[in-house]
Amino acid sequence: MSELAGVEVGTELPPITVTLTRASLVRYAGASGDFNPIHYSDHFARALGLETCIAHGMLTMGTALRVVTDWCGDPARVLSYGVRFAKPVPVPDDAEGASVTFAGRVTKVSDAVATVTIDALCGEEKVLAAATAEVALA
Amino acid sequence: MRAIEERTGFTFPPTAPYPVTAGKIREFAAALGDANPRYAGEDAVAPPTFAAVLAADAWDGLFTDPELDLQLKRTIHYDQKFAYARPLRAGDVVTSTLTIEKVRVRGNTAFITVSVALATVAGEHLCTATSTLLHTWEDES
Repeated sequence: MSELAGVEVGTELPPITVTLTRASLVRYAGASGDFNPIHYSDHFARALGLETCIAHGMLTMGTALRVVTDWCGDPARVLSYGVRFAKPVPVPDDAEGASVTFAGRVTKVSDAVATVTIDALCGEEKVLAAATAEVALA
Repeated sequence: MRAIEERTGFTFPPTAPYPVTAGKIREFAAALGDANPRYAGEDAVAPPTFAAVLAADAWDGLFTDPELDLQLKRTIHYDQKFAYARPLRAGDVVTSTLTIEKVRVRGNTAFITVSVALATVAGEHLCTATSTLLHTWEDES
């Protein structure tokens, strides 16, 4: 891998905004094998006290990492990645779906490893907490 | 004491080997809306969070063990962490081995921390996926 140059604490990664619709959830269910019905059926979502279907936490987590891999190019640079699922992302059954914005910034650089902290906002809600990835710079 | 507490430290047998294919990687990357060129072609690597698909295979051990009295539909994914030795690649044949690391029970809820070690059938360590699962039992009173 070539060196990822000029990375320092405070470096901002280009943010991305993603629209999640019911089709996104069905597609992720099929690809991941996670067929929990709260991700595609309002009937089952309401039975758990939710207003509507929610996105798979792993779909939100996986999408958030695109901020890092779009920036660093090679996903093999990702050494670790962790999040806490702070709030669900409700995905209504309409044409608009849910819009989530992901942003990242470098919060630590040590021994050729950058730590990136990711923010994930759906409306005013922070849907991920403590979202950090370690990225190999060399 | 709940049965799950008594099993802290227990390691389940490895899952059946899972062959990672270029087609599955392409499908998974498309589901993330991710057009990174490294996820395409015969020598594709998998998106880092693809490891969760294999980890979830091992979670089944928790939910199919009748002694543990745990149900997937009463479980919330509380947090998730991955530590990678290298990316999963098309052609890897991978087993997942789950260990119950830590259990905290309060009333009818439990925070269950599990680690899943992903390794090739040749024994190469690939990734450790650590999750905290929040389980709620139905009220028994």
